[in-house]
Amino acid sequence: MTDVVILGIGIHPFGRFDTSFQAMGSEAARLALTDAGVDWQQIEFAYLSRMYLPATSGARILKTLGCTGIPIVDVEAACASGGAALRQAVLAIRSGEADLGLVLGVEKMPRGFMDPSMIYSPWQIEMGLSLNPAYWSMRARRHMYEFGTTEEQIARVAYKNHKNSVHNPNSMYQKEFSLEEIMHSPLVCDPIRRLEICAPNDGAAALVVASATRARQLGFVGTPIHIAACVHTIARYSADLRCPIDSMSASAENPGPTEEAARLAYAAAGFGAGDIDCFEVQDTDAFCEIEALESLGLCAAGEGGRLAEEGVTDITGTKPVNMSGGLISKGEPVGASHLGQIYEIVTQLRGAAGARQVAGARVGLGHVLGAGGNCAVTILKS
Amino acid sequence: MVNSTFGDKLKEPRPIRDGMFLGNLSDLEDLSLAGTRCADCAETSLGSVSLCPNCGSDRVHTLRLGNDGILWTYTVARHRPPGDYRGPEPFKPFGIGLVELGEGLRVMCPLDCALDELRVGLPLRFSPFLRHDKDGSTVVSFAYRSVSESAL
Repeated sequence: MTDVVILGIGIHPFGRFDTSFQAMGSEAARLALTDAGVDWQQIEFAYLSRMYLPATSGARILKTLGCTGIPIVDVEAACASGGAALRQAVLAIRSGEADLGLVLGVEKMPRGFMDPSMIYSPWQIEMGLSLNPAYWSMRARRHMYEFGTTEEQIARVAYKNHKNSVHNPNSMYQKEFSLEEIMHSPLVCDPIRRLEICAPNDGAAALVVASATRARQLGFVGTPIHIAACVHTIARYSADLRCPIDSMSASAENPGPTEEAARLAYAAAGFGAGDIDCFEVQDTDAFCEIEALESLGLCAAGEGGRLAEEGVTDITGTKPVNMSGGLISKGEPVGASHLGQIYEIVTQLRGAAGARQVAGARVGLGHVLGAGGNCAVTILKS
Repeated sequence: MVNSTFGDKLKEPRPIRDGMFLGNLSDLEDLSLAGTRCADCAETSLGSVSLCPNCGSDRVHTLRLGNDGILWTYTVARHRPPGDYRGPEPFKPFGIGLVELGEGLRVMCPLDCALDELRVGLPLRFSPFLRHDKDGSTVVSFAYRSVSESAL
């Protein structure tokens, strides 16, 4: 199969800005092109990952870069939009139709809770079932009941991610909080608190991707990062307690979307969780990271809280998770979030992550999961 | 005459979601949640639907779901939900949970009980109610309430 590599990465910081989405996307794209040493005129196709932006957003961003006639397609798969877009680019290159492309993730979102009419039916909104954090919290509550996971273990995830963010200039929040501050921050939906959830915000990230053959032809001199796997799945029937479900089966025993995506990604990459040096995972809320540790196979079901507590997932631990500060610190500009994870992992695999560098990182995994049970897992290796 | 017919129509209760209930919408005592049982995979799903959401089979039939359930997990909405929320005014925090029914499914719904009562395993009962909207229409909505309260 065609080896697809990442030649360049670019990012517009995540946060809240007056900047237009066109300008943010254009900036991230230009940085990725410069990083790759590739001219815009050479790019053969592009994909835009976004959820909140209006129609023709891709075309409008592309026009700021120069109208070369190439196509751009807007892709939406909720929190997994970036994975879905990157997968399309990988498939395009593997098809032999194209060799060099741009994958762009851009988002601009209003403050506060997300607009419920985008994912919920009117009756759910009227009944008050349109609170995304309620679904995260109900998973946390059930996990606490089944496995004895504690509020302190959940807070420990937020503590680590906020602490990591201090070293990430592209994060919205770059502030360390004490465990006590986190555990005394206001409840949003019990047992999840304000300092344990991510905020929707603005941001952009971009990747220049190519076939390995084309990269050699271009005389690429940097460290090519190989896309060992890029998988997008949707939760099977009743496999995921996540908005906007209205019910779940009590008898179906389907694997969850992360288990499924991870299984497919590990099979494609030819290795498993034990071979991966660093992880960027969905931490819409702190409990979500604990769940991801288990679903990705870093530990058995029910052990995720202990892993967080014992420091295994710290930058200096044996399985570093969310070195960038995670979505809890960066915020979640939905269309840009997965490509932001890829930006971090590429930086790690290049050994260029400075104070948040994982020593000797050669393989990394990005994971996103959100509305509708949309899940993406991407594995990169140097 | 036309006006009066129109007025009657407005007064006629409508379900908050088509296919959500079985029974007479004007008699709350007679109402229950509707479910769909699949003859091929035996899964039961919420509401009356024409295809099984598990396996896609059209060999399905509608059934009444029992009124009693057990709280499987829950949370408390501490903030007013976004959008066109039609709960009690002024807003007060309320429970949301998945209620497990004997037919093998768990239903997402608001919980009509004291917040300090909430625990996994709490016995609950189906509690349909009428919502009177400002435009004069009447909507049948539902919650689950604790059995202790409904006995009062």
